[in-house]
Amino acid sequence: MVAVFGTLGYRPKSLIPTIRSTPDVDKVVFYCGADKNDSDAVKKVAESKKSVLDYCRAMKIAADAIDLEDPFDFKRITVKIRGDIRKHKREGKEVAVFNIAGGTRPTSSAALLACILEGVPTVYVHDLTYEEIHLPLLKMEYSQVLSGEERSTLKALIKNKSKDLTEIELARLVGKHKATVNHHLKNLIAKGAVRLERHPLDSRKKIVKLEESTELLLGDGD
Amino acid sequence: MKILLSTFGENDLEKVVQAMKYLPYERLVLLGRPEAIESKAFDNIRRLEEMAGHDVVEEELRVDGFMDIVDEISDALVRHAKDDRGMKNDIVLNISGGDKLMGDAALFAAFRLGIEAYHCDEKVTKLPVLKGLTAKDRFTPSQVKFIRGIGGQQVTFDVLVNSISPGNRLPVERVMRELRKAGLISTNVKSGKIIVALSESGAEVARAVRAT
Repeated sequence: MVAVFGTLGYRPKSLIPTIRSTPDVDKVVFYCGADKNDSDAVKKVAESKKSVLDYCRAMKIAADAIDLEDPFDFKRITVKIRGDIRKHKREGKEVAVFNIAGGTRPTSSAALLACILEGVPTVYVHDLTYEEIHLPLLKMEYSQVLSGEERSTLKALIKNKSKDLTEIELARLVGKHKATVNHHLKNLIAKGAVRLERHPLDSRKKIVKLEESTELLLGDGD
Repeated sequence: MKILLSTFGENDLEKVVQAMKYLPYERLVLLGRPEAIESKAFDNIRRLEEMAGHDVVEEELRVDGFMDIVDEISDALVRHAKDDRGMKNDIVLNISGGDKLMGDAALFAAFRLGIEAYHCDEKVTKLPVLKGLTAKDRFTPSQVKFIRGIGGQQVTFDVLVNSISPGNRLPVERVMRELRKAGLISTNVKSGKIIVALSESGAEVARAVRAT
């Protein structure tokens, strides 16, 4: 099954060219949403969504319109889109391309970020000519640049994120010597993946905290 | 020195102020189109910086194509990453300002160069870029040499062997197979010679290699 993903704002013409140009599309998944306090924007997005759904119905292509609760919440949108892409892949469906031309700025950037993390080809549609502009595939496979030890340290921190772990406690948890864990933590701090904070109950101790972005980086399946 | 770079549009005063509040910096660099640099919002930011005894550094973006903007932002990031004496600066990038194309291009450049980056709006989100890790780091030194050797045009395999490992074809053949499998190069045979060219993805890796 071949799926086209996209973000949608006021203009259905920013998404439909990609559905047309992708061979054998079985499914279209698109994300839309407007500022709920802006009735004009809500109306325009609803009209645009209806046009895309009508087009897909006429072309006998299944379509999922996903309403974003807050189209300005960059992180939440990234997590949602990345999760959906992964779900499609797990089900053996191919995400042929992701059109990031429509929608709010945070929605478009969040979609691009999810595509970079998942290695999905991305396309823009020109504002005036509706010509498609394919972006070069940029996939950051961090699994290749983080060592196995660094990855397992991060996974242990994710699993225990509600706990305030010191280096010694972390070392015990992963079954490694404190000096070994200290070495990996230094590398992870330099890469901006974790940080040290003062222990809330004992200021002589430091606790290891995962940067919020690292969870986004590793996603739900790693 | 800590430098905050931010994409910027005429209506982005609040987003940039949010970044200025949240991210510690000593120098502020705004990347924007000429009309944004001449806007009231820019004057307001300049005034705020003057109160702290600093000026705002402006980087005008005068191109329209997505990859052209990515390249201009990458250039600015590389330039500000070092000071006049070649000392390393600590740079962070905010991508929430400017139009959609500019913000997306900035995000792309941050990943390409491994620059710490944020999306500062009402909420501040740190992007999952690993500092210092670039698109280049996925490749072995031999693969990088091979990609660099192709440059922007088609070359014969023999030319690549001569530039990478003169007289020793086997390791270069192995690298060629790896890169072809990864979809970064294409090969064809013309007049008995193997011609090697970069694919679109390969061209992006080549740009990243050049930029880092």
